Amino acid sequence: MAVVGAGIVGMSAAHFLSRAGWQVTVYDAGVVASGATGSADGAVSVASKKPGPLMTLAVAAVKFYEQLVATGILVDEYLPRSTFVVASDQEELAVLERHAGELEAAGVPIRMLRGAALMDVIGAAAPAAIAAAEVQREGHAVGYRVVERLRQLGGFTIRRNCRVSGFKSSNGRITGVMTEQGIESTDAVLLATGIGSMHFLAEAGLIRPRKGQLIVTDRAGADSPHFPGPLMSCRYLVSKGSQPAGSTAASRSLGLVIDPLRTGQFLIGGSREDRDDRETADADVVATLLRDAVALSPSLAQLRVIRVFSGLRAATRDGMPIVGNVGGADNVWIATGFEGDGICLGPMIGRLCQQMICGESPEQDISALDAARFGLTLAAAA
Amino acid sequence: MSGPEVLVIGGGPAGVSAALELARAGIDVTLCEQGPQLGGAIHRQPNDATQSVRVPRSHKRRWRALSDELATSTVKVLYRHMFAGIDATGAVLLEDRMHARLVTRRPTALVLAMGAIERVAPVPGWQLPGVVTVGGLQVMMKSTGRAPDGDVLIAGSGPLLVALAAQMVSLGKAPVAVLERSTRPMSVSVIASLLAAPAYLWEAAGYLLTLARSGALPRRGAFVTAIVPKDGRLSVTTLDRNGRERQTLVDRVALHDGLLPNSNGTTAGQHAPFIVRAGDCREVLGGAAALADGRLAAGAVLAHLGQIASVHKGAADALARERQAQAALNTLFDYSGRDPAELPDETIICRCEGRTLGQLRALLTAGDPVSPREIKLNGRFGMGACQGRFCAEWVASFVASQRDGSSPPQVSEIVGSRWPVKPVPISAFVTLPPSSPSE
Amino acid sequence: MSEIQSFLFEGTSVPCTGRETIAAALDRAGIRVLGTGQGDCAGRYFCGIGACQACLVEVDGVRMEACLTPARGGLQVKAISLVSP
Repeated sequence: MAVVGAGIVGMSAAHFLSRAGWQVTVYDAGVVASGATGSADGAVSVASKKPGPLMTLAVAAVKFYEQLVATGILVDEYLPRSTFVVASDQEELAVLERHAGELEAAGVPIRMLRGAALMDVIGAAAPAAIAAAEVQREGHAVGYRVVERLRQLGGFTIRRNCRVSGFKSSNGRITGVMTEQGIESTDAVLLATGIGSMHFLAEAGLIRPRKGQLIVTDRAGADSPHFPGPLMSCRYLVSKGSQPAGSTAASRSLGLVIDPLRTGQFLIGGSREDRDDRETADADVVATLLRDAVALSPSLAQLRVIRVFSGLRAATRDGMPIVGNVGGADNVWIATGFEGDGICLGPMIGRLCQQMICGESPEQDISALDAARFGLTLAAAA
Repeated sequence: MSGPEVLVIGGGPAGVSAALELARAGIDVTLCEQGPQLGGAIHRQPNDATQSVRVPRSHKRRWRALSDELATSTVKVLYRHMFAGIDATGAVLLEDRMHARLVTRRPTALVLAMGAIERVAPVPGWQLPGVVTVGGLQVMMKSTGRAPDGDVLIAGSGPLLVALAAQMVSLGKAPVAVLERSTRPMSVSVIASLLAAPAYLWEAAGYLLTLARSGALPRRGAFVTAIVPKDGRLSVTTLDRNGRERQTLVDRVALHDGLLPNSNGTTAGQHAPFIVRAGDCREVLGGAAALADGRLAAGAVLAHLGQIASVHKGAADALARERQAQAALNTLFDYSGRDPAELPDETIICRCEGRTLGQLRALLTAGDPVSPREIKLNGRFGMGACQGRFCAEWVASFVASQRDGSSPPQVSEIVGSRWPVKPVPISAFVTLPPSSPSE
Repeated sequence: MSEIQSFLFEGTSVPCTGRETIAAALDRAGIRVLGTGQGDCAGRYFCGIGACQACLVEVDGVRMEACLTPARGGLQVKAISLVSP
């Protein structure tokens, strides 16, 4: 089994496939977690999802993380906690109430916080908030740490800096993987190549990079206000998701999440930009995010920006991931286009890919993600 | 003044020299210095002119000439302005500590003259309060004009050890000991090479004479193996060249294992200005070379601007001479530090986050050629506030020593090239005007 | 000789001259531990040129390197104790 891409999806699939008896090699043009997995915010969260298949899958994915911890596959790579969606004015409050209702209808446990309860829970962190929805039973996982844990558990081979340039096929089946080091034979292929997936597919423009910039602060002082979990500004809901890739030529939207990390640092994000495909950050975006962050949580002004980074999410034309068999070769599968949800969905998708590839029926309904909706085929060069 | 603006970062000899050369050519130059005064580490001026540290006369002359010319030049000096990096749009970010704000500039060219990085090889206890770099102690002495309080032990390798020790003696306090790791002898060919830049020989002779008179000559082949706190002081375990172990109780330990160029902050993106590095920041050749290198950097900027620079034959020759002398000097020292195999697992490697050698070793035992990026992310080496300045080079060479040499990690892969190159207060960041046009 | 002033470090008065850094003034006062730091690495003076970030203190509410910051009468300087991870 050749898995192309050593991000969270590929590494999770490699883990489960190797446990299912496959002899797995993971190929990556870079190193482990060098794409979106290594520059993600790590939200294992349904708080920002809109009702539909993605929300249902996200709910299942959070439970899957809990299961991975319970079975010892993950140890302290997953931190369960609530997310707090915060409204700072009446307009945001209306959005908050509607959204909380939708989440509740989908079975997500929600606690609305107002008045004294609000002050009690997030008053110190966000004194200007007028209401918040505590989205319970969510968590955080650092993408590269999950992947590192899977690497340490082993059972498969990783080939770093080994770009797969194409495939050798015979009678409608892939029989080999072409790399700079030659052709290596294989029985099946899983493409978990994120933004690099377009190289392998015939359909142009299906997946586009959607850049995100994130800020890391230094550690909070021991006397600084307590943050019970990430604070998500309601405005994030407007920014997040359901923007088909490429709908606006040079758009950018910002949505504020202030995430207290276990180290005492804060991760402050983020942007969604269809402007360019370079992993660079600009001071204007960072300053805007920080102004919003300080407006919501004034105590952050005492900290320093220690790091700024950006990553490229793989956004599909219809805003939904692509998981399934690739047409034109019956032993090639693909799992890509997770945009901002790769860390949340990745491990479960890895498991579902394994089930699909083993001919079992996947334990979640992923028909909405089926690659067949785009009639995907391998690129001629591939 | 209108026309292209050039920004020079760093108010040491290289930066001042570059700025003056550009100003002479009629260029609009702004010099940014992170501290409240110019001079860099080498020409750090005393807070009180009546109390000053002994420095070679040539150093004094050099700085006097630079500061006199600067005073009457058109160079604009910004004090307490920290260079924070260059963003994706090519904006140069400066943290203005005078006004607690962040400002952006869009210069045509940028000269980075931020000085060297002082190297200290890890040893158990090097993270304790009271343990400082030799350069750090020297800078403090130069500005206060006083010898440090308490008993001081100086260890490591390099000419800076004797310089510090002699300056202490001149201020009336000899160090408890000076341990020079190297046992490499002075050869005829080294002396011959040093004769190309005899100032070094005179300087060294002066220092050694001072130390000989006070009985504080360096003990060659001796080094520190551990430092532990004891009764509010520091107990230092040392080994001499005959393998004899000794405990010494002191108040301060000054460590130094050479100097490294500083490549932080040179993110030459597609929108970035023309960037030149100058002085020890580019190549560690010392103060005399920094002067020449500043002029050469300015020449490169002028050429970029389409101006015909005056011929810098003299500067290039001076640089070549200093390079030869430094190479000869370096053969006398041993910057290797303690053999990692002799270091216990508890040894702190990342001084910002307290990450240990044991944690680094654990990342490498898997029999999988883990990449520098993975070492950085999972081991957190190079992710602390100093941005890897004090661990990345050591981690890279340690990882290389544990491998067969097929893929030695690059320091840049651990440090990265992102801005900010130094942490920036959020309170300063939020002052940046939205979508700010350049100032 | 500059006029002697003083600033407060953790509530203790520390004398300083007009031109020295906070780090130099603290050192002269015998104060070597500048904060809890993290992972067994207390806040302390080390490199003297703002590179190592070890001497970070809070000056009137903003974190800055003691070795680069001029001391001034009336400053409120605090040691930084970090959240333990």
